[in-house]
Amino acid sequence: MSLGLLLAVLLVIAGGTGVALWFILRPQSSAHKAKHSTGNKIDDLTEQAKEDVEHIFNDEFREELRNRGRLHFEKIIGENAMFLQQDLRLTTSQLNEFMKNEITSVLKEEFSKYEESINDAKQLAIDSIQKTQSTIEQQRELLTQQLNKQLTSEKEKSLERFESHMADIVNHYVLEAVGEQIDMSEQLDFILAQMERNKEAIMKDVKDGA
Amino acid sequence: MEPNRQFVVPVSVVSPTDVARLKREIESVDEFFRQSEIRAGGEPSAHMPQMSKLMDQLIAANQLNLLQEEDRQWIVDSLVQLDASAPVLHISFSVDPPGSHVRKIVSWLRENVDPGVLVTVGLQPNIGAGCVVRTTNKIFDMSLREFFASKRSFFVKKLHDAISDPDSVELPANAQVQQEQPAQQGAPA
Repeated sequence: MSLGLLLAVLLVIAGGTGVALWFILRPQSSAHKAKHSTGNKIDDLTEQAKEDVEHIFNDEFREELRNRGRLHFEKIIGENAMFLQQDLRLTTSQLNEFMKNEITSVLKEEFSKYEESINDAKQLAIDSIQKTQSTIEQQRELLTQQLNKQLTSEKEKSLERFESHMADIVNHYVLEAVGEQIDMSEQLDFILAQMERNKEAIMKDVKDGA
Repeated sequence: MEPNRQFVVPVSVVSPTDVARLKREIESVDEFFRQSEIRAGGEPSAHMPQMSKLMDQLIAANQLNLLQEEDRQWIVDSLVQLDASAPVLHISFSVDPPGSHVRKIVSWLRENVDPGVLVTVGLQPNIGAGCVVRTTNKIFDMSLREFFASKRSFFVKKLHDAISDPDSVELPANAQVQQEQPAQQGAPA
């Protein structure tokens, strides 16, 4: 960008110099034409003017002009180069500042996005963990209920089995222990009482059977 | 002989086996008298069959004279009819019952159920006490085993009480004394 600006300045200076030279040399050529067109007098005058010009604008004077122009040109070029350098430094510093700001803003934006995505991921992870925890809790409660139910059922079954077996064992034990100790004479009253109780059924059965 | 007199079965006649034995016995008596009629005078006669106590009781209960052929025939017919039509009850006891007890039970049955009922006695030691009466159609379990079975819910309830709250179970006074005795015996002198 700075090189382009420098070239543009140089072209402007070269164009200005060319225009100035053209204006300097133009009356000379128009006078030369007038001389040819108006006659010999004019030619003479022209020749005379040319000589005067040759006197005024001699080689030294021209060399002096060239030197002055070159110096002026160098000065202008130096000034422009200095301006250009200042502009370049300014532009560079602005560019640096701009780049710094841009990079900072981009980094901030990226960091904020990164932080946001991290927060989202964190929230997702927390949600997932909470869901997993709630599922585990539900499963645990379900398992606990099933286990309690099964435990109660097993307990009831065991208790029922124990009661049944215990009743059988006690009955068997009592019958074994007491059975032989009960005399038939003591049993007779019990037997007759039982028969009295079942008298109607026995009678009915005997009559029906007969 | 009275035309429509009723056959009385003595309580000592308990089972169909007794009836069959009496029938054989009366038949042998009848045979003896038949042979005596056939034999000529002076010939050695067969020995008179020995009458069993059961037969004596049967004759006494029915007021029979076995010298009379009609009585003999009547008793044979009655025994055949009894054997054919009498209801038979099978009674099982835990131990072998004495005859007197069986006779009491038979007497009760003949008074209350049927006058011609016959009883066969069996043994079932696992019933503990009481008896099991089996007719042709039914079984009447009057044993201690059945009694315990009927009281099973009561036992289970007591067992529940003992398991759930042992202090609430009221032990008999004897049980407490018996529980304390070993502790006293085991205590140092």
